[in-house]
Amino acid sequence: MKKPVYIFSDGELHRKDNTLYFEGESGRKFIPVENTSEIMIFGEVSLNKRFLEFISQSEIILHFFNHYGYYVGSFYPREHLNSGYMILKQAENYIDEKKRLYIAQKFVEGAYRNIRQVLKYYQNRGKNLDDIIYAIERLGDLIAGTSNVNELMAIEGNIREYYYKSFDEILGNCDFEFDARSRRPPKNSLNVLISFGNSLMYTTVLSEIYKTHLDPRIGYLHSTNFRRFTLNLDVSEIFKPIIVDRVIFTVVGKNIIKKDDFDEDAEGLLLKDKGKMAFIEEYENKLKTTINHRSLGNSVSYRRLIRLELYKLEKHLMGEEEYNPFVAQW
Amino acid sequence: MYEEVTGSLMQSYNICKRQVWLMAHQIIPDQEHPYIEMGRLIDDMSYDRDRKKINFENVVIDLVRNDNGNLLVGEVKKSSKAIGSARLQLLFYLYKLKQNGIEAKGQLFFPEERKKIDVRLTSESEAEVVSAINEINDIINMDKAPAFEKIPYCKNCGYKEFCLS
Ligand code: SF4
Repeated sequence: MKKPVYIFSDGELHRKDNTLYFEGESGRKFIPVENTSEIMIFGEVSLNKRFLEFISQSEIILHFFNHYGYYVGSFYPREHLNSGYMILKQAENYIDEKKRLYIAQKFVEGAYRNIRQVLKYYQNRGKNLDDIIYAIERLGDLIAGTSNVNELMAIEGNIREYYYKSFDEILGNCDFEFDARSRRPPKNSLNVLISFGNSLMYTTVLSEIYKTHLDPRIGYLHSTNFRRFTLNLDVSEIFKPIIVDRVIFTVVGKNIIKKDDFDEDAEGLLLKDKGKMAFIEEYENKLKTTINHRSLGNSVSYRRLIRLELYKLEKHLMGEEEYNPFVAQW
Repeated sequence: MYEEVTGSLMQSYNICKRQVWLMAHQIIPDQEHPYIEMGRLIDDMSYDRDRKKINFENVVIDLVRNDNGNLLVGEVKKSSKAIGSARLQLLFYLYKLKQNGIEAKGQLFFPEERKKIDVRLTSESEAEVVSAINEINDIINMDKAPAFEKIPYCKNCGYKEFCLS
């Protein structure tokens, strides 16, 4: 099984013949090409064309994150799986507004249902979430009736607003209070964790898209301008509540990340490397967690589940089977 | 859509029509699956005349040049269970070779059963190959992939997760 490699230190990435290594303060570290799916770069790293050429050839994606830990961009090697047929189908479903709306609604529906599932779980554990769940369910009822993507986006935004309010009740930790959702860079620790986790999610989905025939530039919910990756943002919506948010509940609930794991700088708050690493460990564990898959008849990891979701989308685009998003059972 | 029929398409044809369509549309879900490797090897083999022996999974294809300068294409199989598909595949190679101006004889080996079967490209068996090729082309030209129907092979198929997701 190929695994992501995370780089936090500063240094240089090199190619030596058919091997890769990272040269940092603590010396050389070899990167096993066969076992690496992607390289996640958090430190200040320099690299050259020779390196990029080899990375391309080895079909390894590079994901870059800034000082605050937010996604900056990816080096996405030229597509190795190319299906003109699939790209045509993808575009056809984008251009036709009705078809596009249908898929976008399904992504929002998936996000909504998984959010609801997370909330129900905590409601069953005695958290006072009745009002929030009620409000979210009313909004959820409106998804299928939306007549355009903007309207749909607005409903999604409202659901999320209610949802994030529930975090204070779920966490019950005054060091991690929600206030308002702030971004770029976030102003409070909970927002820092949300943004960081979402950044990881976007890259995970993008890496899975790379292993399919889908073009990540054609999204349905997030509008496409062909310059940015958007399909990964779409599909991430479905998985954020059950992967990222649950990781947040774990790291805060179990005191794995505490108040002093954050630093303040001129522009905002940032999570120290130690905290990022702790978060990533939980996140990777979550992706490896397996659940039973009914139609496959065996258990699959969350990471694999993301791939299956993409296969389902492919089948929808091919006109085989209507796409229905994955909804967690608990 | 025009697609050259390849060894791997011929092999898929013997297994599952849906697979033929998916392959021809370059929809190859699981790159890490051994089946895909196999398909690649078969394709390589069709054009690489220097290689004398190709090994993959439970199949070995031997290319042996005999004394008269005639080529003997031998295919070793573990069991004669799937003899029909092994025969058609071998006939396909013979047909391909013939198109490239090479007359060859074929032989299927089942060492564990101490069996050897000659396969010749007669006008009859050639017609069989041609009709398989035509049918493959018809499948490829279908608007949609043939619907998914679970067969025992699905268990070992690289498309399993795609079809069952
Ligand atoms: S999984 Fe089954 S139906 Fe799908 S391509 Fe493979 S053999 Fe055919």
